[in-house]
This record gives sequence, structure tokens and C-alpha cells, in this order.
Amino acid sequence: MNQLLLQSIWLIPCYALLGAIFALPWSPTIIRRTGPRPAGYVNLLMTCLAFTHSLIALQSIWKLPPQHISFNWLSTAGLELTFDIEISRVSVAAMLLVTGLNLLAQIYAVGYMEMDWGWARFYSLLGLFEAGMCALVLCNSLFFSYLILEILTLGTYLLVGLWFSQPLVVTGARDAFLTKRVGDLLLLMGVVALLPLAGTWNYSELAVWAKTAHLDPKIAALLGLLLISGPMGKCAQFPLHLWLDEAMEGPVPSTILRNSVVVATGAWVLIKLQPVLSLSPIVSAALVGIGTVTSVGASLIAIAQIDIKRCLSYSVSAYMGLVFIAVGTQHSEAALLLVLTHAVASALLVMSTGAVVWNSITQDVTQLGGLWSRRPISGLAYIVGTLGLIAFPPLGSFWALLKLASALWVEKPWLVGVVIVVNVFTAFSLTREFSSIFGGKPKQMSERSPEVSWQMALPMIILLAFTLHLPLLLQSLSLLPSWADFNKDVALLLMWSSIFGCTISGVIYLSDFIPKPIRLPVKVLQDLLAYDFYTPKLYKVSIVFSVDMISKLADIVDRLVIDGIVNMIGLASLGGGEGLKYSTSGQTQFYAFTVLLGISLLGATVTWPYWGHQFLSLMF
Amino acid sequence: MSLQYFLLLAAALFCIGIYGLITSRNAVRVLMSIELLLNAINLNLMAFSNFLDPTLIKGQVFTIFIITVAAAEAAVGLAIVLAIYRNRDTVDMEQFNLLKW
Repeated sequence: MNQLLLQSIWLIPCYALLGAIFALPWSPTIIRRTGPRPAGYVNLLMTCLAFTHSLIALQSIWKLPPQHISFNWLSTAGLELTFDIEISRVSVAAMLLVTGLNLLAQIYAVGYMEMDWGWARFYSLLGLFEAGMCALVLCNSLFFSYLILEILTLGTYLLVGLWFSQPLVVTGARDAFLTKRVGDLLLLMGVVALLPLAGTWNYSELAVWAKTAHLDPKIAALLGLLLISGPMGKCAQFPLHLWLDEAMEGPVPSTILRNSVVVATGAWVLIKLQPVLSLSPIVSAALVGIGTVTSVGASLIAIAQIDIKRCLSYSVSAYMGLVFIAVGTQHSEAALLLVLTHAVASALLVMSTGAVVWNSITQDVTQLGGLWSRRPISGLAYIVGTLGLIAFPPLGSFWALLKLASALWVEKPWLVGVVIVVNVFTAFSLTREFSSIFGGKPKQMSERSPEVSWQMALPMIILLAFTLHLPLLLQSLSLLPSWADFNKDVALLLMWSSIFGCTISGVIYLSDFIPKPIRLPVKVLQDLLAYDFYTPKLYKVSIVFSVDMISKLADIVDRLVIDGIVNMIGLASLGGGEGLKYSTSGQTQFYAFTVLLGISLLGATVTWPYWGHQFLSLMF
Repeated sequence: MSLQYFLLLAAALFCIGIYGLITSRNAVRVLMSIELLLNAINLNLMAFSNFLDPTLIKGQVFTIFIITVAAAEAAVGLAIVLAIYRNRDTVDMEQFNLLKW
């Protein structure tokens, strides 16, 4: 039975996909009478099925070595495209995480989307995402990973653009699609360039190949840079990070999924590609560089945001930056652990803020306040999410960050500094958001704010409990470092940095010493961070401007030059006809003249050989 | 006397005929120019007949035919000119440019 479940593990993405298809009949134009709710329930059922299946599969795979299944997808001359599946502990656990978080997000959406008519589209897309991510973690081939990433990019476009009557949603969905697409396209270049070098797209075979590969350093560097640019866009890393900020225009339940797992799809591919990436030191340096800039930059930006959802989205970028650092320094395990703990904590944070937004309408943290006494569940969820995200022992991310930092302690001490700085900034920004929402006095918008209904509270509480139990789970799976080999200095540093960040922020925002809203002495800096380093403007004056210019130029060339040349040919023949018709002058004598002229010219040409030479010598 | 002189004279006559054919405004003078052309050809034929074929004189036979045909052609041509004149009250060639573009 267990073996059967394990062998049929490829069914898990299919359940979700079936859910996505079954949801569609309840679109408002197809089934007009029942309302959209069954779409959600069908999807919940399918997700439940997928979750149970992966739970049982995880139990049975736990003691077994990884198994591989391979379907032949396409075989042409010289190219065998096989859909390789790897059933390992990690992939099944990742599926469990995806289906579990999706289940919670879908239950949450039952409450959150209560007054919305578009359940069919929404749940169908959630199902598509679940299917895509499960397929991604199962699939053991770079080619199919790329394929799935592209499908998910399209899914992001549709899901962010759910409420397409809002202009900001349309621009946000557009940016999310194009930014990720650019990264994906660069990734495709890398994927295509990898095949002639390695001869395979299978991750396991790639890892074997990378061990003995002797590549030209330049080729290795270029290849690696292309391969990381896809995850760069997916994980919302600088400079391809604007889309995540604008994707916050989408509905909250999808944000749960996006912040926790969708952005991690890029990290997953990155972790899988780590052996190939470590072929070139330049690529490792680039990974570390991008990760550092993003994690520090984004965690600073998060501090300066006033939008409740955007505060969190930049923290996601920052943590994905830490994953980049971990992969860049060849610590894949730490990266995987960080992805797991971040996903859980981040999902909890989004759920909590979503619950606040649902009843308080505004997303502006400066207009919220004093919710703690009336919204204890949301507040507790927020606190636990925060502690689970920053390095606060004994909760999850502490161990992930500790693992990363103690590994870096010897190799690259300055990166430990980066981790600690990011931790301080994130602690600061999350506590600031907590203090603004739950602390202080109630403001007009949060004067009457009841706790949310059970559909939204239940998944929040389950996830809260799971976040609290995560360290126990990790311990029972012996994923925690043993007492002997963990670096106590680093642990203390991390702990104190979290406490430092939280305390400073709490003191600043919960006390009345400093007038709110807080103005930094340097207004330029505050604006710079609040406007995300003016990234939209940067895009506008660089890439968008140049592409726009080139396309306008190409359009002009097309309309004037290319089109003009062809039109000119037509015009020339038209003009030729119009002009040459005057040769038919109507004068009989003129016709006679042309006849004689023609005859004499013909005669001259035919007889030229007999007298031309003499004529020429006479002339010259 | 040699053949060339005859041929040159005929060529000159032919060219004069052509000049007249192309430049005359009077339609009757055009017909007269055509007669000049035909006579230039007759001169040629007679000269060739005398210098190159004195026994069989096929050129002279040709000439007889051409004179005959030229007479007929001139008659028909004058008839056409008359027909045009009846309609348009003029024989000016430059008034006959109706069938243009």
C-alpha cells in the first residue's frame, strides 16, 4: 500500500490540477444559479487529498533512499526529453509544505473572499499554483523545472490580475509577468547552453558531471550567471524585485502562497543547481553579492514602508537574499532549512496582517493602532510569526540562521555581519509594524475592529501552532545542530541582535517620546527607502525607456523606410505609367518617327560589327 | 558612273522624304513625302537591277509593281485625307491628335 502510494506520487500535482479544472464550471457565466462557493470546496477537497497523500508518502519514504521514476516525454533524433521524478525525503517534505500551506491558504480564502464573486478563477489559479509547485519539487530535470517556472509565471500574472478592474492591479500584474519573464528567459539561455556541455538536464547527473567538469572559467561564469538570473527574478532579488512589491495588489490569500512558497520556487531551482553554480567562483561571488545587496537593501526598505503588505513583501526579498548567500557559499542545507522556516513564518505573518486588513479596511500602518486588546489572536499570530522569522530561539528561523552563520563564521566572517544586520533590520521592521498595528491608541480606522470569522482564524491558529512546533519537529528529524558543534558566539550574537532590533523598535514606536509619524533628520534618505530606491523610476529611465525608444524607432523605420520602399516601388510604377502614357501623343507623324527611329537603331546595332570600328577610329 | 552614286542619291531622296514625312503639317504633303520615299526605293531598285542583275532585271519588275502599288496607295491616301477634311474642315496634321493617351 505504501509502496503504491509512493509510486503514484506523481498523482499529487494531478489532484491539484484536477481541482483547478473542476473549479472552472462555477465561473459566473457558466453556472449562473448556484454562486461560486462550490469551486472553493472542490479545491479544498482536492488539496486535502494531496496533503494526505504526501503525508503518507513522507512516512513511507522516510527510511528509504531516494527513488527515481522517469517518463518519456518526447524523443526525437538526438534528443530524449524525459520527465524525471525524484522521490526523496526532501521533495516529499516540500510537497507536504506546499500542499499544507495551500490548504491553509484556501481555508483562509473561504473567509477572506466571502464577499467576492470570483471564486472559480481564484481557486482555479490557486490549484494551478499548487500543482505547479508540487510538480516543480518532484521534477528532477532542469528543463521541466524551467517549463514549470514559466507556467507559474503565467499563473502569477493571472492571479495578481484577479481584480483586473483596478488600474494598479493591471500594472502590477504586468510588471510581475515581465520581470519574472526576463529572468526566466535568461534562465532558458542557461538551460539550453548547459545541454551541450553536460549532456543532461537531470539534476543528479548534473551534480555528478559538475564534480569532474573542466570548463573554461569564462564559460562556467557566463553559464552560472544565466542560471542564477532566473531565480533572481523569481525570488525578487535586486534589481528584479519591483514586481513583488506591486504583486501585493493581489488578494491576500494568494499573497500567503506567494510570499511563502512561490518565491521559494526560484530558490528551489537554485539549490538544485548549486553543484553547477559552484563551478565558477565568479558565480558564487555574484550570488553572495546579489544576496547581500538585496537582503540589506530590502530589509531597510521594509522599515520605511507604510503599507502593511509591502512591509512584509520586502522582508521576503531580504530572506530570499539570505538564501542566495547560503547557496553562494555552498550551504544548500542551510538554504533549504531557511526556505522551510521562512515559508511557515512568513505565511503566518501574511495571514495575520490579512486578517487585520479584512476588518480594518486600510492597509496604511499609520492609520492603524491599538488593536492588541481586541484582536489577540491576530496579534499573537503576528508575534509568533515575527519570532519565527527572526533569529529568536527556539523558533525555526533561529536554527536556519544559526546554521548559516556558524558555517560562515570561519569562511567569510563579514557575511555573518550581513546576516546579523539583516536580522536586526527585519526585527526592527516587524516590531515596528506590530507596534503600529497592535500597539498605541486606536485611530479612526481601527476604532471598531472585531476579530475575524473562524474560517480565517482557524488556519491562522493551526499555522501558529505549527510554527511553535517547528523546532520540535526539526529536532525529532534531527535537523537541529547538536549542542557540541554549534557555535555559541554566533548563537548569542544572533539572539542579541534580534532582541536589540525588537527592543529599539518597540521603544521608539510604543512610547510617546518621539512624535509620530517619525521624520528622519535626513529626509532624502527616508524618501529613498520609502520609494524603494526609486526603482520604478530607475526601470523607467533605463530599460523601459530604451526598449520603448528602440521599439518606437523600429516602428518608425518599419512605417517609413521598409513600408516606404515598397510603396515607392508601387508609386514609381504608377508614376511611370502616368508619365509614359504621354508617349502616345496622337500624332501619326510622331509614330512614324518612332518607327523609323526604332528601325534605324536596330539597323545600326545589327550592322555595328561591319562599320563600327571604322566609325570609332574616324571619330577618335 | 558607279552604283554608289545612285545609291547615295536614292538615300538622299529617302532622307528628304522622311524629313518631309515627319515635319509636314499638310496631310497632302505627307502623302507627297511618301511618294518621295517610294521613288527613292524605285531608284535603288533600278540601280541594283542595272548594275548587279542586268540580264534578268528582276529589280525593274519590282519597280513596276511598286509604281502600281504606290499609285493605289496615293489614291486611297487622298481619299482618307478627303474623308478627314469633310469632317474636320482642315488637313493640318497637328489637328489630328485626337487619339492620344
